[in-house]
Amino acid sequence: MVRLITHNLLACHAKGCTTNNFPLKLTDVKLALREADFNPDFLRGFLPRVEWDALIQASREIGDTSLPVERPEMLDDDLLRQLHHVLLEIHIDEGSMTCPNCGHVYPISNGIPNMLLAEHEIW
Amino acid sequence: MPSQQYLIVFAQAHEDFRVPELLSIAELYGFPLNIENDIDPSRPFGVLDLEKEEHVRLLARRCILIKSVYELYAKGCTYEDVHRQNRASRHLWEKYIPNTSFKFVVNGYNHSISKARQRQVIEDFSYMGFMGTIDLLNPEVTLGCFEEYPNGHRTVRLEHKGASEFRDVFFGRLLEQGSARPLIQTFDVKKRQYFGNTSMEAEISLLMANQTLASPGKLIYDPFIGTGSMAYTTAHFGAFVFGSDIDGRQMRGKEAQPGIMRAAAQYGVRQRILDLCTFDITRNPWRCGGLFDAIITDPPYGVRAGAKRLGRKKERVADSPLPPQPRTDVQQYVPPTKPYELSALAADLVILARYLLKPGGRLVFFLPTVIDEYKELDLDSVLCDGMQVIANSLQDFGAWGRRLITIRKATSRSYPPPTFDSQPVPPALRDGDAEREGNPSSPIHVPAHRDFREKYFQGFKKPSDAGPS
Ligand SMILES: C[S@@+](CC[C@H](N)C(=O)[O-])C[C@H]1O[C@@H](n2cnc3c(N)ncnc32)[C@H](O)[C@@H]1O
Ligand SMILES: [Zn+2]
Repeated sequence: MVRLITHNLLACHAKGCTTNNFPLKLTDVKLALREADFNPDFLRGFLPRVEWDALIQASREIGDTSLPVERPEMLDDDLLRQLHHVLLEIHIDEGSMTCPNCGHVYPISNGIPNMLLAEHEIW
Repeated sequence: MPSQQYLIVFAQAHEDFRVPELLSIAELYGFPLNIENDIDPSRPFGVLDLEKEEHVRLLARRCILIKSVYELYAKGCTYEDVHRQNRASRHLWEKYIPNTSFKFVVNGYNHSISKARQRQVIEDFSYMGFMGTIDLLNPEVTLGCFEEYPNGHRTVRLEHKGASEFRDVFFGRLLEQGSARPLIQTFDVKKRQYFGNTSMEAEISLLMANQTLASPGKLIYDPFIGTGSMAYTTAHFGAFVFGSDIDGRQMRGKEAQPGIMRAAAQYGVRQRILDLCTFDITRNPWRCGGLFDAIITDPPYGVRAGAKRLGRKKERVADSPLPPQPRTDVQQYVPPTKPYELSALAADLVILARYLLKPGGRLVFFLPTVIDEYKELDLDSVLCDGMQVIANSLQDFGAWGRRLITIRKATSRSYPPPTFDSQPVPPALRDGDAEREGNPSSPIHVPAHRDFREKYFQGFKKPSDAGPS
């Protein structure tokens, strides 16, 4: 936990932070690899929701370069396996996610990111 | 396609949930199930017409409320009727005549049947002429005869009296015992590595998971996950689960390893809990909508866990800017919260679900309510365009109850993210609440769940019970 599938779905939501608020930059990460169910249908169904550039950026920030830089047109079996691994099997157990726009730092501890906003970020 | 009739023997629990569960599991496996008025939810037996035996077996393996399923040979309100039909069903059972071991069971519902009468009933089926051995432990075929007596019949009486006052007799061959029911033990909260005072009982968590149509490859979300009760059952059926809660301590517990992950490991579903995040659902970081196949949740209604959202009770005046607060230890920082009234929360939840669900996706959630005040109309204040109620089952606790509502996103339109500004339905007038309904000068219907928390702590007394004030 935090997996890159999750990272790909979270944007900074501080007050007024509506552009360039995604993807959150990953730093000081402590990683773990854990196997997950391989489900090709799930991956194919989820792919249209993936922001590919953000996924590439994030995976490189944490040292994985297995995915092609260009969003693939077709998913062959190899690519499905790689996508499965990158989206679901790399876990960020500790670290921070920083908003590229406003600089808000969302810390991750024991695998759970704290996405709560402070009072001055709500109004 | 010729269909066959099957007898469902239901567990004696959660009657109101039986039919919705059957319909959900039929939809999950994609076979037609026409229930119409065939099943009276207050009766423990139901007869279903199905195209394939496999379909009733699928129901028995997934429905929590099924005790057992039978191939139906006969049903009638007298034994003459039953035997006549059973003879007509000969083609279904004659293959067992020559050399199949068998056993006979005779059961009464709302009535116990003496050994002597059981023997008599069995005797009366002897024309079937089964030639195999009787094997009580491991029979190849189990024949079941069920006498259903009306409710309230269970009174002390002489055995011979009332023995034929049954409502219906059902006779058939056992196909399967319900094999999902034992999951209630598997998910027993008391045997769980991690739980809290908000944990949902196992049986209901399983029923909720079935309402979501959880299955491998689906993505399901609990936005008020607490200690994760429904995440385990949903993941058990193969789905990936996301969870979030405003209070990280609910998800974590006291150890470093989050409590939800420890319990998930116990159930062998750790890797299906995709992630847990701490945030207020009214201030959520979801980048886009259309993500989830289902949302499953028990929203806070303020009785055990606070129903709250970020903010202050009094809105800050616009021109008094807040001093920026340096945050040294973000984990420790607890932002202020304000109460979140249930009718506003419920309306927000449905709008949120419409945004976050895929077309056809389901929202499954509990709405607590006051039994005497509840009206079907109450749900209107919760619904929004494109969202359709497909099931509504009451769990009755006496003065109050909670309704498990299943709502379908019946549109493929995409909607903007919710603004979380649903206003609570205006409170009921102090006097004359009862007359309010028909009173044209106050056209707004006040749902029974409005101010549920206050009503709960006042013991559900009506204002008129309160005496002079
Ligand atoms: C009834 S409990 C859910 C219990 C859960 N089903 C379980 O098994 O423990 C409701 C949860 O909602 C959380 N909650 C309350 N207000 C919230 C909000 N605005 N956003 C997110 N979570 C909230 C509470 O912290 C609590 O854990
Ligand atoms: Zn930001």
